This record gives sequence, structure tokens and C-alpha cells, in this order.
Amino acid sequence: MKLHRKPVLSYLRGTGDRAPDQEGILLKKGTRNPSYQRRWFILRGNLLYYLEHQGDRSPLGLILLDNCRVEPRASTSGLYAFTILASAEGGRCYKLAAETKKDFDNWLQALVWAGWSQLWELLQPLQEQYQRACREAGVEPRSPPQEELFLSLPCSPAPSGFPELHQRFGEEIQALARSRAARRQVDLTEFG
Amino acid sequence: MRYNEKELQALSRQPAEKAAEIGMRVPKKGSVVKRRLVKLVVNFLFYFRTDEAEPIGALLLEHCRITKEEPSGFSISFIEEPDRKYYFECSSEEQCQEWIDALRRASYEFMRRSLIFYRNEIRKMTGKDPLEQYGISEEARFQLNAPQPTGIECRKEEGLLGRAEISPNSFWPGGGGGRT
Repeated sequence: MKLHRKPVLSYLRGTGDRAPDQEGILLKKGTRNPSYQRRWFILRGNLLYYLEHQGDRSPLGLILLDNCRVEPRASTSGLYAFTILASAEGGRCYKLAAETKKDFDNWLQALVWAGWSQLWELLQPLQEQYQRACREAGVEPRSPPQEELFLSLPCSPAPSGFPELHQRFGEEIQALARSRAARRQVDLTEFG
Repeated sequence: MRYNEKELQALSRQPAEKAAEIGMRVPKKGSVVKRRLVKLVVNFLFYFRTDEAEPIGALLLEHCRITKEEPSGFSISFIEEPDRKYYFECSSEEQCQEWIDALRRASYEFMRRSLIFYRNEIRKMTGKDPLEQYGISEEARFQLNAPQPTGIECRKEEGLLGRAEISPNSFWPGGGGGRT
């Protein structure tokens, strides 16, 4: 089955107007390698992405959170461990750990509300309550706003000509190089 | 990008919000309309060859625009490539409109916006916060006017979530297999 990549990547990157539901470092046990690897996790909606490094454009992987249980797990290494268990046949068991209690609490709180069905279950009674309140107030119920994504994307004004385009690309490339250098710096200090 | 294909397949076998045989054309050069079984499950659109049990493909329905196309059809395009369209041909205007509405409602982000909208409106009309009864009025993802920075700083701020103590009994026992 082909999972079309672009929509998945686009959702990860967001539109700049909403931060992810949760993000940060978590340790993850590999499928073949039983030791923990440090990964950057990003939760958006019902999708949990993990990247090798914060700021990477492409994720290493994706965990679908519908039909998953999240359970704490005993750890002997002083870490705050938990497991994401997919209930599907052939589904995986993702062993993760947070480095601090605070991270653990933040992540579990975020993951508990990450299922699509849970959000749907929460939405139905609220919608009914809204319609009831409208009837009682004698007003016409409105529909939730449709996001005009394609019109309201923050974007810089179009370049006036080729020289400006050339300059802008140059600046972008320099900024990218600076951020890569900064990241390399961080990686080195982690092992230093 | 790794993901567990079996989990995605299991999702495609769940009861669907909507399923029908409709004509589909992918945005590839020279592609033609083909009859497909199209199935909407959570925020994924799966499409199958009409006689096969496993989907050919899956589209995540986030950051996408659903547009009516004449006659009795619609297209799905994604924010980063708005001209690259997946076309669908329905058998009637009614079926077409039902699909357009269902696909728009399927997005997690649409549901989140709706929840925030209803919460705000109910609070304005009744003076009460409807999320309090669920004990999640502090849940950041449903905040009305929460700051929306793109960095991680907001997540590390003390008191933003104002959460209660997490106890093992409060874990959600799984999605429950979609809507039945």
C-alpha cells in the first residue's frame, strides 16, 4: 500500500500558525537494537513523528496513534519509561522513555488525547450542546470556520525580479548553513 | 520514512465513515479515471481496486482542500502543491456533496477547530465552560487563545497545561476501533 508521503510531511511541518501538540526528546528502543536511541518526537493530531535530530526536514518514522494504548513501564535505568502498544494484529510495541518526570507527564498527557476517535467522541456532545444553546437563545447555529489555508498562508511578497530572487535564495542558503553549523555545535557538546 | 504497514492496513479494515465505488484519477501524467473502492476511515482516505482486500494507497486528509469539480465530482489537493489534484467522479450531485462534507469533517485539525469554536460559543451563551465536566479545560490543544509559537518553548513553560497528577488509571485504553 502506498502511503502518500507529501500530505504526511506537510502535516508534520505545519503551516506556521499552530505549534505541535507536543515535541521534545524521547528515548526509543530500536526494532533490532535493544538499546535506547535519542530521537526528536513531534506529535500532531493523531500522528507521532520521530526525527533523528530536531529541525530535520524528513522524519525517520511515524507512529499512528489510533487504536493504541499508552502504558507506563518499569525501568531499571532511572528513566521514565512507557510503551505505545498498537492493538492491530502485527502491530508494534514502541518502547519509549523520557529523561525527566516532567517530560514523562507532559507526553502522557498529550498522548492520552491524541486519538482521532477520542476527539470525535468529545466533539459530538459539544456540537449538540451548542445547537441546544442556540435554540434556547433563539439564534441560528453557525458552522465552525473553514480554514482558508491556501489564502492565509504567511508568505513573503513575490520577488520583483530575478536579482531579488537571487538575493533571497542567497540569504536562505546562508541561514540554512548557519543553522546546520549551530546544530553540529550542539551535537558535539552532547558527546563532549 | 518508517511506519508499520500492518497498522495502516488494520485501519483500512475498520468500519468506514463512508465507502463507495467512485471514479478516481491520480495527479500523474497520462493517468485516467479508474473505478476504485474509496473508503474514509478517521482522517485517512484509502482506495482499493474494487476486487481487492488491501488498499492500493492511503491519503492523509490534513492541510488539504476539497473542491467541487463539474460535473458531480470533487478534487483533493494539498497545501504545498495546490495544482496537483486527485480527482473523484461521483454518480450524482448528492453523493458528491456528501463526500465533500464528510472529507472536510474528517480532518483532525477541522475537528480541533470545531471543538474550540463550540467551546467558545457555549461559554459565551451559557457562561459555563463545557470542557470542565471532562476535566480537560486546561488541555492546551483545545485552548482558545493559546499562544501559537512554532518553537518548543511554550511546551516547557511551567503552568501552561496546569495538569493534574497522572495516575495509571487515567490512561485512555486505546482508540476503540473507530466509529461503529
